[in-house]
Amino acid sequence: MIEVQDVRKQFGTVQALGGVSFSARDGQITALLGPNGAGKTTLLRTLVGLLKRDHGSIAIDGVDPEKDPLAVRRNIGFLTDQFGLYERLSTREYLNYFGELNGMGGPTLKQRIDEVAELLQMDDILERRAKGFSQGQRIKVALARTLLHRPRHLLLDEPSRGLDVMSTRALRHALSALRAEGCCVIMATHVMQEVTQLCDDVIVIAKGHTVAQGSPDELCRRTGIANLEDAFVSLVGTEEGIAA
Amino acid sequence: MRPKFLIVFQKELRETLREKRTLALLSLFTLMYPLMLGYLLNQEIKRATKPERDGVEIAVIGASQAPTLISQFKQRSITVKDPGPLDEAGISALLQARTYPAVLRLSDKFGENYAAMRPARIELWYDSADENGKRRRDVEDVLEAYGANVASARLLAHGVSPATLAPIQVQRFDTGTNASRSAVLIGSILGVLFLPVFICGMSTAVDSTAGERERRSMEVLMAQPIRAWELVVGKWLTSATLAIVGVTFELGLAHAILSWLPLEEIGMSWSLNWADLVMVCVATIPLCLFAAGLQVALAMNAKSFKEAQSVLSFVMLVPLIPGVVVSMMELKTATWMYMVPMLSNQTLLREMAKGIDVGALPFVLTFACSALCALLAVGFASWRMKSERYVLSV
Repeated sequence: MIEVQDVRKQFGTVQALGGVSFSARDGQITALLGPNGAGKTTLLRTLVGLLKRDHGSIAIDGVDPEKDPLAVRRNIGFLTDQFGLYERLSTREYLNYFGELNGMGGPTLKQRIDEVAELLQMDDILERRAKGFSQGQRIKVALARTLLHRPRHLLLDEPSRGLDVMSTRALRHALSALRAEGCCVIMATHVMQEVTQLCDDVIVIAKGHTVAQGSPDELCRRTGIANLEDAFVSLVGTEEGIAA
Repeated sequence: MRPKFLIVFQKELRETLREKRTLALLSLFTLMYPLMLGYLLNQEIKRATKPERDGVEIAVIGASQAPTLISQFKQRSITVKDPGPLDEAGISALLQARTYPAVLRLSDKFGENYAAMRPARIELWYDSADENGKRRRDVEDVLEAYGANVASARLLAHGVSPATLAPIQVQRFDTGTNASRSAVLIGSILGVLFLPVFICGMSTAVDSTAGERERRSMEVLMAQPIRAWELVVGKWLTSATLAIVGVTFELGLAHAILSWLPLEEIGMSWSLNWADLVMVCVATIPLCLFAAGLQVALAMNAKSFKEAQSVLSFVMLVPLIPGVVVSMMELKTATWMYMVPMLSNQTLLREMAKGIDVGALPFVLTFACSALCALLAVGFASWRMKSERYVLSV
């Protein structure tokens, strides 16, 4: 359960977050929709305690990331817009490293790596070094790292970019399984089809403000537009407004 | 559970050891430098000991006109060869071939002028670019002595005491012992002997901070349940370990080579034993820690590998400055020198090479001052990594 109440963040004169409020429930996949520059990255960084907010409150299972960032991070899987792979380490060594950083070790860790590898269908690259991996292979490794320590919360920044059809299906499968286990998943994405197919809840942010929250159907009903993409555009503002 | 910084340390070390560039640098500086040093000193020794075995050989054109002079050369074990009449170009060619340190040419009228007691001319040809200055001076000494002898004999024949020609008498005393003369030479060698401290760990320090930032994996790492100082310490220790290993091997090899060479032959001394060397190596560990800490603290602020590298190669020159200043101003060894990192290590090794018993204080100061600087550097790096401005620019 992630609860965000009127969070604001200012860098110099730039208001990156001007008041973001939402709650993402356990056992649901929540989409985070917003045009580029809406403040998604800042929001995610604030959630893991890398940035300090100026105003408002954040509670992740009741814990404030500003007060106890390590406890929050132990319970979060964070997939950034960068994969963060090490070219000179094999996938297994990479996963071992992050597993150990999250307090895992021994046979439990080994078993969990095999589990995750199977879930994401990446057995073939487990013993290979990351140099020369394709985009799809890279994101799989990064995803495996995100899921490794069985976090209760997942913050995913465009997890399906660069994946082929088979891998996208595998990813969707994995996310559904996590939802069934009761995880709280927040997924920033630009693919509307994914939102309609996968997500239970949608948060729309624009220019650092929450514009709307609700299920895809609710958003369509509220705007009176049947198509989610058009509904999103109307919520964010005019098309010209986005371009500017 | 293992401490987090050890996990980071282990991963960084594994990654580093897989990188060929780092290993090449390490082996280059641990092996090449002592070997090069040994080779150069060995050449020096060979040159210095050569004259005693072979004697000097000079060419004298028109030697038959001055048999007494020639016999005096022979007494001083200077062999004389007569190459026959030569012009200037021929003499230059002879000198350039480096077979003779000097060529003497007696003018055709030498014998005639000598007999008539007019100054008889001898031309001394030499190449000042050649390094045979000492042997040339031997030749000049013989010429001078010969001239003085002849003058004395002529004065005596006129009933004048030769002592009138020598109003003063110069006697030379050289107080420079082998050890103190070697201080200058050893001092310049030592300046560079500790350089691997700053080189061996550099590429790791850069790669694990600026490199990680450039590859955009730093943000992921910082979002893990690990404190900023644990990350910094892990990376710092990796870089320091390489520096420690590198400089210890290099000092060991340099010590083996310097003790094996007959350094007395060129007026140098290396009076260290292996126990002394171990002490020096231990006192150098904090310098490695400081160098690594400084490199991590600086490199983490650079946005790319290249930027960090150019900043660091510039900063690497800074620790050499105190050593250069001290030797330029010819300062006497003082206690404060043991408080300046790098300079302290150079001073310590120099004093010990001279065979001076320095006592415990210099070791303690050398150790403690570098250790303090290392802690400051790591503290700064940790503080910097925690700051929001750093997170934003990652």
